[in-house]
Amino acid sequence: MAETFEPKIVAFVCNWCTYAGADLAGTSRTKYATNVRIIRFPCTGRIDFMLLIKAFQNGADGIIVSGCHPNDCHYTSGNFHARRRWMVFKSLLDFMGFPTDRITFSWVSAAEGKKWADLVNETTESVRALGPFTDYKNLDFTQFNQIDHEGIAEQSR
Amino acid sequence: MKELQNKAAELLENGTINLLIGFCEDGSKRAVPCFIETAAEANTLVFNQDCKNNLSVYLHKKEVKDAVKIGLVANVATLRSVLQLLSENQLWSLTLTYLTVNGAGELVVLSSAEELEGYVQANFPTCRPEDQEMLDKLNAMSREERWAFWKDQLSECVKCYACRAVCPMCYCTVCTTECNQPQWIKTSAETSGNFEYHTMRAMHLAGRCINCGECGRICPAGIPVHLLTAQMNQEIEQEFGGKTGWSLKGGYALNSFKPGDKENFIK
Repeated sequence: MAETFEPKIVAFVCNWCTYAGADLAGTSRTKYATNVRIIRFPCTGRIDFMLLIKAFQNGADGIIVSGCHPNDCHYTSGNFHARRRWMVFKSLLDFMGFPTDRITFSWVSAAEGKKWADLVNETTESVRALGPFTDYKNLDFTQFNQIDHEGIAEQSR
Repeated sequence: MKELQNKAAELLENGTINLLIGFCEDGSKRAVPCFIETAAEANTLVFNQDCKNNLSVYLHKKEVKDAVKIGLVANVATLRSVLQLLSENQLWSLTLTYLTVNGAGELVVLSSAEELEGYVQANFPTCRPEDQEMLDKLNAMSREERWAFWKDQLSECVKCYACRAVCPMCYCTVCTTECNQPQWIKTSAETSGNFEYHTMRAMHLAGRCINCGECGRICPAGIPVHLLTAQMNQEIEQEFGGKTGWSLKGGYALNSFKPGDKENFIK
């Protein structure tokens, strides 16, 4: 059974800019990839790095993190703090050998519906090219995964 | 050594300190941490190359804090961690006296935060050469090689949390590892959960770690976990400037920002 791979993209977006931007894309009837699952946050400053790890662990193939452009934050400085945190987090993941090209950081304002649609399309395509994210799954039960399940099922019939 | 013992006895005698945290030798002549409350016990003190423990970690314990006036036998790394803790508004309720031995082998007694700051800045430790070598080696690797390296290393982790217990910067009363609503960190010691834990630890210490290397030294599985925080330290120093444990007004890199921070990775 050959299924074509459809990447699962999780988007962590801020309520004030990117969520509104995605809303604009919707109300403007802009078509974009349906692979994205949007999670709304009050601010990019609220996006804990642990949430990104959890998303990957629970089967996400790619992640978009997006919020207000610098100086546009509803809470004045949330995105500036987030930017530093992303930088550090990205370099930590890179140092640990994690494929950071699966995480896309972006600024999308409430007026940029088109940018949002393009961002989702581009990310979906780039993650599709990278293939399913299996690194995390392969960390555990590596030997278990090598068991010939079909063979066992065959025998038990 | 005698000088240190005499000074410690004197400080305990005249009431400058109620408790001294230092090193003494155990049965097998190994330097181990000890807590001295009377001048008579001061003659058991030692301070040599084997005294590697970062004793500042004890300053968070309630039993120790109750003594209020505390003396600390410390190497430069330990002094640096105290300075970082002071800059994070910790330990100010204590009256601390520091006993250390400088490069020339002379006893130095520091009795105020300002003196401590001056001494640490004058004797600021650099990254240990063996650590720098490992960091350079890892940074020269491809991403896949690094993943394989950490996968191999972290699969050995048994989640004993010794790296957390030994860290003077890990003083939160409730740690993310204990949080189970939601369960951020898997409780079992499987590799993916170990990755979570060590990513979390490195992130929470990023811009705060003073690079004493205790976490790596203490690890029963021999995982060089201190390399994660050491790498973060160097990145942060490069990107944002400022050194951890350098001054009393250190500030925390992830708690501040500049409008012009790098953003070439943001679309």
